[in-house]
Amino acid sequence: PGKGRVTGVSGEGGVVPLDPSPSCLDRIPRDRFEELRKACDEEGELRRQDGPRPRAGEEADSSSRPPAAKRRKVATKGKRPGKQAVDELEAQKMRTLVSSMSQEQLDRYEVYRRSAFPKATMKRLIQTVAGSTVSQNTVIAMSGVAKVFVGQVVEEALDVCEKWGETPPLQPKHMREAVRRLRSKGQIPGSKHKKILFF
Amino acid sequence: MADEEEDPTFEEENEETGGGAEGGQGKRKRLFSKELRCMMYGFGDDQNPYTESVDILEDLVIEFITEMTHKAMSIGRQGRVQVEDIVFLIRKEPRKFARVKDLLTMNEELKLARKAFDEANYGS
Repeated sequence: PGKGRVTGVSGEGGVVPLDPSPSCLDRIPRDRFEELRKACDEEGELRRQDGPRPRAGEEADSSSRPPAAKRRKVATKGKRPGKQAVDELEAQKMRTLVSSMSQEQLDRYEVYRRSAFPKATMKRLIQTVAGSTVSQNTVIAMSGVAKVFVGQVVEEALDVCEKWGETPPLQPKHMREAVRRLRSKGQIPGSKHKKILFF
Repeated sequence: MADEEEDPTFEEENEETGGGAEGGQGKRKRLFSKELRCMMYGFGDDQNPYTESVDILEDLVIEFITEMTHKAMSIGRQGRVQVEDIVFLIRKEPRKFARVKDLLTMNEELKLARKAFDEANYGS
């Protein structure tokens, strides 16, 4: 998301340029913001070169993708002109979205973009578990995956919290219920139970 | 860093019955407390998340990383953790897969950009 504007990988040392003043005073309701943000995640799916199309049993985000995106095949080397246009369109959508955010949303968005796991600590952790050295790319990949993982848990926990009629800050019981739900969806490794697809 | 050899999955189960201020982790220092707080806020939690929740998340993250590392070591080139293995492991999860591809692509582009920048400076 926003490829042209990010200057650091994993929020490292980079300035995240944000449009200066939100012109629109209407707040974007949380569910619409989620939808639009997921659209940016889905943009990443367009770049998936060889992954299988998600099945019905996969997470909700995939099912809200437009059909055109599902049929698109992506070139493996370089970017074709069509792909560049899609990127530019996505960037434009992001700019529009960011320019209509309230101050609170902007603050949160900035922290969302900038937050990251410290590379050194991550490297030390992986190397300790692995018992050998790992490359920089491995640390980058693992940090990225871990952040997405955190996002999945927190979002599920927020859903649980809302469903139980409670408010943030998230409590341990929300976190535990979220983990239980994600585990049954097969999104948390560690339990090699059989994931039932159809029933 | 012998503490990090402790089995985190075991510790996580303990944490629920242990309760109390130390979060059931025993002697392990909290590695990602500050960063996780920021992340939780960024993903939608309150600006000041509960410490207990942050601790639970930290245990989850460490368990996740440990699992991924062990699995990566068991496939591809044995005993080594390589990027290709990580990508293979998460191939079935669209969000994680897309994110890793993005990050690695961006990293390559940045490396090329920096290289071009340095070469431009070398001339002057």
